[in-house]
Amino acid sequence: MAVSGFEGFEKRLELHFSGDDPATGKGLRRLDFFSLEKVLHAVQCTVVSAVGNKYFDSYVLSESSLFVYPTKVIIKTCGTTQLLKSVRPLVDYGLTLGLTLCGCRYTRGSFIFPGAQPYPHTSFKEEVVYLEENLPKNLSIKKASIMNSKSRYKWHVFTACDEGRTVGRVDVHASNLYTVEICMTELDRVLAKKFFRRFNDGKTGDSAGREMTEVTGIRDVNENALICDYAFDPCGYSMNGIDGNRYSTVHVTPEDGFSYASFECVGSVYDDKEEILEVLKKVVKIFRPGALSVSTMCPVGHQVWRGMSKAIEPLGLRLRSFAADEFPIIENVVFQTFTTRRK
Amino acid sequence: MASEEGQVISCHSVDEWKQHFQKGVESKKLVVVDFTASWCGPCRFIAPILVEIAKKTPHVIFLKVDVDELKTVAQEFEVEAMPTFLFIKEGKVVDKVVGARKEELQEKVDKHGVLTA
Repeated sequence: MAVSGFEGFEKRLELHFSGDDPATGKGLRRLDFFSLEKVLHAVQCTVVSAVGNKYFDSYVLSESSLFVYPTKVIIKTCGTTQLLKSVRPLVDYGLTLGLTLCGCRYTRGSFIFPGAQPYPHTSFKEEVVYLEENLPKNLSIKKASIMNSKSRYKWHVFTACDEGRTVGRVDVHASNLYTVEICMTELDRVLAKKFFRRFNDGKTGDSAGREMTEVTGIRDVNENALICDYAFDPCGYSMNGIDGNRYSTVHVTPEDGFSYASFECVGSVYDDKEEILEVLKKVVKIFRPGALSVSTMCPVGHQVWRGMSKAIEPLGLRLRSFAADEFPIIENVVFQTFTTRRK
Repeated sequence: MASEEGQVISCHSVDEWKQHFQKGVESKKLVVVDFTASWCGPCRFIAPILVEIAKKTPHVIFLKVDVDELKTVAQEFEVEAMPTFLFIKEGKVVDKVVGARKEELQEKVDKHGVLTA
């Protein structure tokens, strides 16, 4: 492992709002770009490219991604960004649109270079304190937990919600959807090279990104998705996929010594169970990581994590740890870690 | 109309659209159409960038179509994601950019907007 380098591990924030009519209102999508830029400025990132459909807007950022639905925002940023500084401005802008915050989820893995992180990300404890200080008081039901593993890579989860929402969900999206976050390190060197720009290729970041999507097989993970991709100079890659009301997102830091790739997507508990397993297998084949973790967050009563270890064992990755926990309101989080047998 | 050169022209009716489309066909100029929606954030992101590109390429016609205002036109061109930029030459779609991708947009304006002798 290198002494220092770019931090690929992302911080992920998801905010849920209530107050807008989900049938006709565009809610948070009405937020003007100047205000959105101010939020991103607080986090120290900028918009690289973006695309939207009738369900939501997606943005590829200089440091990961942003998704804006009418009543939900998801921001994922890497490097040394101060992601939690987006909480206050987003809550305030929400209020100007007639929306009140009713739920918050913050998750992240373990930083490769924790010492390089700025306030309030120097420790999970500090992050939790910051969240408690900056979330509105109506989010009174909270839980913070570090989910364990046998390695140095843990999974940190903080959730908070409005007690008024304990009686079932109003948000149509939430009841059947789950989120899968895959974090990979020690990427296969030959495969990781595909995420380096070729010297003087005369391409734009957009077209080089398009090429990487095709050449690496990322295009085939979900053939239905519209992909907005970008290749950074001299290396690095990001993409957002939009498919109906679902997103997927990939971010790659290919440098040897601190290589990292993430894949995140949304699924429904009503999907064919094999679909997510096929996705997982495809992702493993694209990166062939030495270590991989999968975190699933899904409604209680459903076990989207089932079958994952069996699916990727033939690809050389063995399950090393399993942790499960329940979070308010009715969510199960499962954290599994895998490494190749050479460990 | 010289006063429209270098600007992004919004079409607010099907007739206006047909008029500008026809001008493009007759002049043999490249026509770039920005399909946009008022509730779509990425469209707001790219709007000022498109204005700048238009200023620098007066020999290209830039049109803006709101997908709610001109539903039939959006459907005719099968626009599903926004913004979608169509590149039209002599009435035919020769290229497109789906998404607010400023580098790709500039690249294609340069490629297709070659000044005719």
